[in-house]
Amino acid sequence: MNIKASRKRFKPLPYILIFPTAVFVALFTAWPVILSIYQSFFLQRMNIARFREPTFIGWGNYIDLFSDPYFIQVIKNTLLYIIGTVPISIVLGFLFALLVNRKVRGIGFFRLAVFHPMVLPMVSAATIWLFLFTPDYGLFNAALRFLGYSGPENWTGNPSLALLSVVIVAVWKNSGYYMVFYLAGLQNLPSDVYEAAALDGANGWQTLWKITFPLLRRTTIFITIVAFIDSFRTVDHIFVLTSGGPSRASTVLLFDLWLERFEYQDIGISAAITVVFVIVLLAFTVTNFITSERKEV
Amino acid sequence: MKKKMLYKIFAVLLVLGLLLGACAPAPAAEPVQDEPAPVEEAAPAEETEAEVEEEAEEATMEPVTFQVFYPVAVDAPIAAILNGYIEDFQAEYPYITVEPVFSGGYADVQTAIQTTIDGGGEPPALGVMLATALYDLINADYIAPLDGYIAAMEDGDAFEADFLPAFLANSYYDDQLWSIPFQRSAVVMYYNADMFADAGLELPTSWQSWAEAAQALTVQDGDSINYGLHFSSDWPYWLFQPLAIGAGQNILEDDCTVVFDDPAVIEAVQFYIDLSAVYGAMPAGVQASWATDPPDLASGATAMITHSSGSLAGLLDQADFELGVMPYPGKEEGTYASVPGGGNFYIMKGAAQEKQDAAWKFVEFISRPEYVADYSINTGYIAHRFSAYDTDAMLAYVAEVPQALDTRDALQYAGAELATQNLGQVRGIFHDYIQRAINGEMSAADAMAAAQVEADAALADFCP
Repeated sequence: MNIKASRKRFKPLPYILIFPTAVFVALFTAWPVILSIYQSFFLQRMNIARFREPTFIGWGNYIDLFSDPYFIQVIKNTLLYIIGTVPISIVLGFLFALLVNRKVRGIGFFRLAVFHPMVLPMVSAATIWLFLFTPDYGLFNAALRFLGYSGPENWTGNPSLALLSVVIVAVWKNSGYYMVFYLAGLQNLPSDVYEAAALDGANGWQTLWKITFPLLRRTTIFITIVAFIDSFRTVDHIFVLTSGGPSRASTVLLFDLWLERFEYQDIGISAAITVVFVIVLLAFTVTNFITSERKEV
Repeated sequence: MKKKMLYKIFAVLLVLGLLLGACAPAPAAEPVQDEPAPVEEAAPAEETEAEVEEEAEEATMEPVTFQVFYPVAVDAPIAAILNGYIEDFQAEYPYITVEPVFSGGYADVQTAIQTTIDGGGEPPALGVMLATALYDLINADYIAPLDGYIAAMEDGDAFEADFLPAFLANSYYDDQLWSIPFQRSAVVMYYNADMFADAGLELPTSWQSWAEAAQALTVQDGDSINYGLHFSSDWPYWLFQPLAIGAGQNILEDDCTVVFDDPAVIEAVQFYIDLSAVYGAMPAGVQASWATDPPDLASGATAMITHSSGSLAGLLDQADFELGVMPYPGKEEGTYASVPGGGNFYIMKGAAQEKQDAAWKFVEFISRPEYVADYSINTGYIAHRFSAYDTDAMLAYVAEVPQALDTRDALQYAGAELATQNLGQVRGIFHDYIQRAINGEMSAADAMAAAQVEADAALADFCP
């Protein structure tokens, strides 16, 4: 009886400890999301006097969005951008980690070389790439020509290459960052497993595929989430390289959100885009964790 | 179990947190702290008009502090320059304190002011925003008209008439004055005069001779080509407008009427395409080269660029050849064209009246010829008042840098900059279609016709 009673006694300490975080999350995370959901059901445009006060229009904003070919194109661009950046930069990060995880003299230099793009602010990185991409004297084209490339060279101005050029910059910038996580993971792997594998006569490929990769699964999950979210929220280089063009060929979801809210001053539509955003990211993260936790058992 | 749960919660929070970061491209400006300011007297308009006797009042004026949000859009130490002017101003008006707030680019200033007002805060009394933002700012009810202040001045009409008319064009709406020019520029064509001389070429006087000169100055340099002309089109409307004006038809008539599908405008689009397709004087397609063009000209990688007059100071610094500045040649022989750009002062309606009044005093102060001249000399912006050109400092400067007069003179050929209702969307439509034409996805005529239809629809809600 005594024990039960003491268990039920209210302990305020945990609540006090969590209080600041809870307030912070409620204020800066939950509240804006709730507000966006609310606003997404209203017609409100700041630059038209008679639409400045919000009017309830139900699903109107969502219907407008998904019947607008531009928005469909933006969704397509976003998907292509994610497919282009996430897997490639993770695979590259993994390969770089394997390459620089050796005891060779001067390896620090190579680690630094792969990692340094991450230290640059995105805007500086994009500005450097502006010069690399120039059609007449750009180094990027010169390098490609050296490798036998003879295709179009106007990377940022060509509608079928503009999205690819922002993908290239993102991959260049991010893979070094992911490499660091993989490198940390690799260096924490237990050596006895490798010894056992060597005794059993496993070749390099088997060791990599059956031991290293599975052991790094947690790292991979973490990097996937970071990479996925990052691919949604990085637009700085798009501002610098293409301004979302030509003809919106490189406009992704967040860039479009900025356009609608601050260029077109359309609060309802931008709230609806925010809601789409939240749903996609939440769905991704929750799925990712549910599936990964299940395998753990 | 608990640990797993925690992980999940953490993950969800992580996503939401990152997302929040993503959803706020510009940090919301902090609501302006209320100064220990005088009790609001709700100063009525008549009181501001009684400013004539201000000298007598000044000694007893209550202290007032106001903020000015300003952008840095050119390669010049704007913050240091502005702080110097503010010190001078405060020495003359000891009861006024000016707090300058550097806020990024033009878009960031507008975003910061918007978020402050939308969030229920008090906006800064003064902001420097694009001259073309006028209609959006009026529609959103952010800015206050300035006619009352002009009327209260002893020489108000003369004050207004002293501004170069091309720069005042985007300040009027509904017969009221809403903004005062501050850092203004124009589209010009810069050229490497040495290359022209070496090739024995005359300066272009028409589209024809312009294109031929660009063609003649295009040289193969080993594996790469040095094109004769760099003409960026990643944010095309501004640099394109002088082409349309040079063909005889600007792309807008008023805030409710755009003219995209006129034959002259289509011809201008076609000329841009032909510079590459027919003359081979430019790379093909949309050129995302706004940022790389000035260094390219300075390093000799090209002979001509189209750019903002605001790049003059930086180019003069870097170029080791004789740099020339001129308006675009027009289509017909002997015609020229340009278009103004840049930012104006706006006074925010939401600021306390005494702050607005203090802000106007600052605008008046900084519009004095000696400050206009000084700002122009130090930044490369065009001095926007006639009287500034009579100051000793300016006379000495143009004796040394005659190009500064060329940028001003380009303005006599200028049409109005694209400023319409619903500007963001209308401009976006124009950009979409002109880029389709430039990239060969549509013909110039089809693209401009489609742009006209969409732009008319985008304006319909605004222009009943």
